[in-house]
Amino acid sequence: MITYILRRLVAGVGLLLVVSMVVFAIFFLVPRVAGADADTLAARYVGKSPSPEAVAAVKERLNLDDPIAVQYAEFVKGLVMGTDYDSGTDVIHCSAPCFGYSFNNNLEVWPQLVDRLPVTASLAAGAAVIWLGAGVSIGVLSALRRGTLIDRAAMVTALAGVSLPIFFTGLVSLALLSYQWQIFPPGGSYTPLLDNPLEWAYGLILPWLTLAFLYAAMYARMTRAGMLDTMGEDYIRTARAKGLPERTVVTKHGLRAALTPIITIFGLDLGLMLGGAVLTESTFSLPGLGKFAVDAIRANDLPVVLGVTMFTALFVVVANLLVDLLYVWVDPRVRAPS
Amino acid sequence: MNAPLDAPESSASAAASPGPGREAASQGKSLGQIAWLRLKRDKVAMTGAVIVVMMCLVALFAPVIVKFLGHPPNEWHQEMIDPVLSTANEPWGGVSAEYLFGVEPVNGRDLFSRVVYGARVSMLIGFLATLVSVVIGTFFGIVAGYFGGWVDSLVSRAMDVFLAFPLLLFAMALVGVLPDAAFGLQGNALRIAILVFIIGFFNWPYIGRIIRGQTISLREREFVEAARSLGAGHLHILGKELLPNLVAPILVYSTLLIPTNILFESALSFLGVGVAPPTPTWGGMLSDAVRFYNAAPNFMLAPGIAIFVTVLAFNLFGDGLRDALDPRTH
Amino acid sequence: MKRRYLKLTALGVAASLGLCACGGTDSGDAAQNEAVDGIVRPTDEQGGTLTFAHSNEFDSMDPGNTYYAANWNFSRFYARRLVTYAQQPGEAGQELVPDLATDLGEVSDDGLTWTYTLKEGVKYQDGSPIVAEHIKYAIARSNFATDVINKGPTYFADLLDEDDYAGPYQDSDLDNFEAIETPDERTIVFHLKEPFGEFDYLATMPQTAPVPPDADTGTQYQTEVVSSGPYQFDGQWQPGSTLTLVRNEHYDPETDPLVRNLPDEIQLSFKQNADDIDNRLLSGDLLVGAAGVGVQTAARGRILRDDNLKARSDNPKTAFLFYFAINPNVAPFDNKACREAVLYGADKTQLQTAFGGPTAGDIATSLLPPVVPGYEEIDPYGTPNHEGDPDKTRAKLAECGHEDGFAANIAYRSDRPAGQKAAEALQASLSEYGITTDLKGYPSGTYTNEQAGSPEFVRQEELGIMIYGWGPDWNSGYGFLSQIVDGDAIKPAGNSNISELDNPEINKLLDEAAQSQDKQRREEIYARIDELAMDSATFLPFANRKVLLYRPEELTNVFVNPNYHMYDYVSLGVAQN
Repeated sequence: MITYILRRLVAGVGLLLVVSMVVFAIFFLVPRVAGADADTLAARYVGKSPSPEAVAAVKERLNLDDPIAVQYAEFVKGLVMGTDYDSGTDVIHCSAPCFGYSFNNNLEVWPQLVDRLPVTASLAAGAAVIWLGAGVSIGVLSALRRGTLIDRAAMVTALAGVSLPIFFTGLVSLALLSYQWQIFPPGGSYTPLLDNPLEWAYGLILPWLTLAFLYAAMYARMTRAGMLDTMGEDYIRTARAKGLPERTVVTKHGLRAALTPIITIFGLDLGLMLGGAVLTESTFSLPGLGKFAVDAIRANDLPVVLGVTMFTALFVVVANLLVDLLYVWVDPRVRAPS
Repeated sequence: MNAPLDAPESSASAAASPGPGREAASQGKSLGQIAWLRLKRDKVAMTGAVIVVMMCLVALFAPVIVKFLGHPPNEWHQEMIDPVLSTANEPWGGVSAEYLFGVEPVNGRDLFSRVVYGARVSMLIGFLATLVSVVIGTFFGIVAGYFGGWVDSLVSRAMDVFLAFPLLLFAMALVGVLPDAAFGLQGNALRIAILVFIIGFFNWPYIGRIIRGQTISLREREFVEAARSLGAGHLHILGKELLPNLVAPILVYSTLLIPTNILFESALSFLGVGVAPPTPTWGGMLSDAVRFYNAAPNFMLAPGIAIFVTVLAFNLFGDGLRDALDPRTH
Repeated sequence: MKRRYLKLTALGVAASLGLCACGGTDSGDAAQNEAVDGIVRPTDEQGGTLTFAHSNEFDSMDPGNTYYAANWNFSRFYARRLVTYAQQPGEAGQELVPDLATDLGEVSDDGLTWTYTLKEGVKYQDGSPIVAEHIKYAIARSNFATDVINKGPTYFADLLDEDDYAGPYQDSDLDNFEAIETPDERTIVFHLKEPFGEFDYLATMPQTAPVPPDADTGTQYQTEVVSSGPYQFDGQWQPGSTLTLVRNEHYDPETDPLVRNLPDEIQLSFKQNADDIDNRLLSGDLLVGAAGVGVQTAARGRILRDDNLKARSDNPKTAFLFYFAINPNVAPFDNKACREAVLYGADKTQLQTAFGGPTAGDIATSLLPPVVPGYEEIDPYGTPNHEGDPDKTRAKLAECGHEDGFAANIAYRSDRPAGQKAAEALQASLSEYGITTDLKGYPSGTYTNEQAGSPEFVRQEELGIMIYGWGPDWNSGYGFLSQIVDGDAIKPAGNSNISELDNPEINKLLDEAAQSQDKQRREEIYARIDELAMDSATFLPFANRKVLLYRPEELTNVFVNPNYHMYDYVSLGVAQN
């Protein structure tokens, strides 16, 4: 059991390393291959109409002339040990985990990421509660009432849900509920939870529902398929034959088996989403990690993009770890020493 | 957020139980015939199929349709627009017999024509990107499943890496850093090629996982054992024994991947990294419509509904196909 | 001298206050554009909180490290300069008045030396005196340490007679910075390479706001700016969070030519949703949109449809020109007739609509914006109703040997919707003559540095036509023209003269204007350069930008600053019940 967890941990760290390499290669190597030299890259980070001297100075400060491997090593070193940075008058220490400095506003990336995380986390957590609750219960209900009107209606709605782009549902709901009828606040309204929990929830209802609609639809479909599969298995028939109440059969045996794959997917989805729900945040102008990253990509602010991607990968790895641990609890086979 | 494929592994196993081809053949009817019979009876799936075919025809014959029912997609009709407010003079965004979906704010372009032409980019990228995913995914899935061991570990870890990436951000960044002319292509041809590659490339693990699972359950079956004992090489077993039995799941998941890829393409266009204007794309139109959501709802609804209907039709058909090919459904 | 200026200003303000009291009504029933020509709800009543919101961020709050007009306007709350603009709407507001200095600059006979004297009794927020050396230091850090402070312009570095000064971070001995002398605490002397008649305009830039060397923390100084104005940072601010300015108790209004201390407190929040900002302005929940670029499309529709809202809006012209540069080094535009075909073929009414209609911009017919002093109306490539001239276009096409048209590229910024629509409009009107164009979008973040602003890239990618927007750094022909028509200003990267115009006569005239001390002569030269540049057929100007500003009823003392083309932030007050 402990070796199992350790193995997963090592795999997780390895995964992070690979992700960081790939990200680094894409942002620092691909532009080079595409023909940008160190000067062009440096020129992106100085103001309007820069003098050649200013470009050279920036190039030196960002080590853009070093080989790519050295730059990568510096980046990893910063992550683990922190790094020093010259602000002109002072040397500022950027402590680990140092994702470097945003080229555009001269701020450390890490605190900025931490600042935006609550927005994304609020969005993801609220939506996850809704979609998991609604999706799984609708899926179970549908499976148990297979072929009935309820089942059909639920599945048609679910299919519509997975077929609607989130930026379209978001826009329509904003146009109607927020602008036309003014029931909900406009896009971009975010109040921190601790400032005012009611305002917090009120501002996030539309994004939550929009995001949850898509995922609830997916999860309902998955749960239904999984339930139908398991309810047809021999051991369920055995359980029924033993005379167990239907309720026990469904919850203790059917649902448990059907939920296992859903937990996996849920871990992955939640992990990815904590790294920024790009489309939802863009549609509702929520200042979360996803919007931060999109803005950074537009502004060519590589350390920020790198930071968000690494952050996301970290969440995915952690979520996967948690899922693995959950397995131990849900699925007895994992617990047994092999 | 990536555009997730609604195909969890649990239902993957239900999609096409191993070796349906052989069971079917033993009853004297081919897999295709049985599936077709079932599919024909599934009215919902057939409706989906009809719409899919219609959308394909619309994309193919866009110039003809627009010639009779609309105006050239890039033609400006300023007389339709109030210059001060930038929106249509007429109510409902200028919807009329002449402009079926109304006109675009600012420039008065015919929304109907733009939606029709938008189908071309969406369908083209949706199909081609799926092809890329299927080729890569099938190859790696079959190899990983058949050989197992370290090959399987390597491929599976690679798939993990892909699944841990925020794909949309990645695709955005990649489209942004690539040059304007490369591989002998330039302009929109290059842009479409890049989009196809990126969307296809990032989605292969979804197919890969399914094919890997199917291959694992197939490789221990008698007919594979038999081939192996007859001294058949790996290549022969992979190509001649396994692949034909994987046609059903490949078909099903291709059908279900196309709408996902259409959504992905529209998401990229919505975020501003799609095909260059003035070429109409559904996602690009939606992103333009954001500024006018209160004044010109038709601008938002026309492309949005087009995406919805197309994606829904593919999903309906894909679901039906899955059921038809699954021997356990009745 | 000092007294004269102070008096004049005071009189000017009083006069316009008086005018407004008669012209307008006291209930706040102002009409559209009333704040363009006059002051709406004039008052000297103090108190309240003045709230600003920005849809993004300023490049930096450091007055030495910013290039955003809105921040040049806003930072006057806490960063006084040597010289500033008179506190007046309309043309009178384009006059210069000394701020920290006692007078405008005193120039030597050879035009190479400019001297300013500081007022007595001007103090920082901690009560210590503002001395000339701190202004010298501020210019040293903002112009000569571009490896650290590189967001603002570097006019001082370009003009001062200084060769090898490495900036204060690498060379802490300020005596090595010889082009600026501070013989005593109140005198600052600038030595130039060549005469520059508009030096006083440079002295209005926030870079001349004093910075105490001890307080300078390089790029981080923006969080702890030491105030020389009526307000100071409350000490809590971190970039991204809401900035609160509180009164600076050591500020002495007697030393200030402007009245800029009405509110008790000022709040500026960042990264707010743009549509939300508009909604809050319209509901009175917020007082000023800080970016100064006006409301979004959605709110524009609401304001223009509603007479009450419209009456509370202003639609001032700005000095911002939008144009297409036609590059003569890209075939077939090496042939002048081909360029002229584009100029005659473009339908400017269509371009205007695409750009957002008459509230977003007037049709432009030449380079110099009408709000710049010395502007003379010319329209060398005029067409009937600005709609394009098919006959002339075809004639020019024939003349350049492409009767049936040709192919070209149009570059635009892919994240600027109005510019993109304008590029599409040009494409549409040119297509009628067989001129087929491909649109090439680039991110605005790299457009000037890597694509349109890189002559090598322009040739390589054959970007014959490129959209560009240009506004002057100060309101004169030189401030506007020098970067976009000067052959000597062409750079391998970050080039703003993207037409690559290199006309010896223009270059010579620009030098003459720079060195002339005669305002009238300078203005004649600017008009002449405008003609010459238009004659080169490398510019297709199409819109002089206008912005639609909204002033909530709670806002008092409102007028449009004719230099920054947005509300004069430091004059604003909050209505008290």
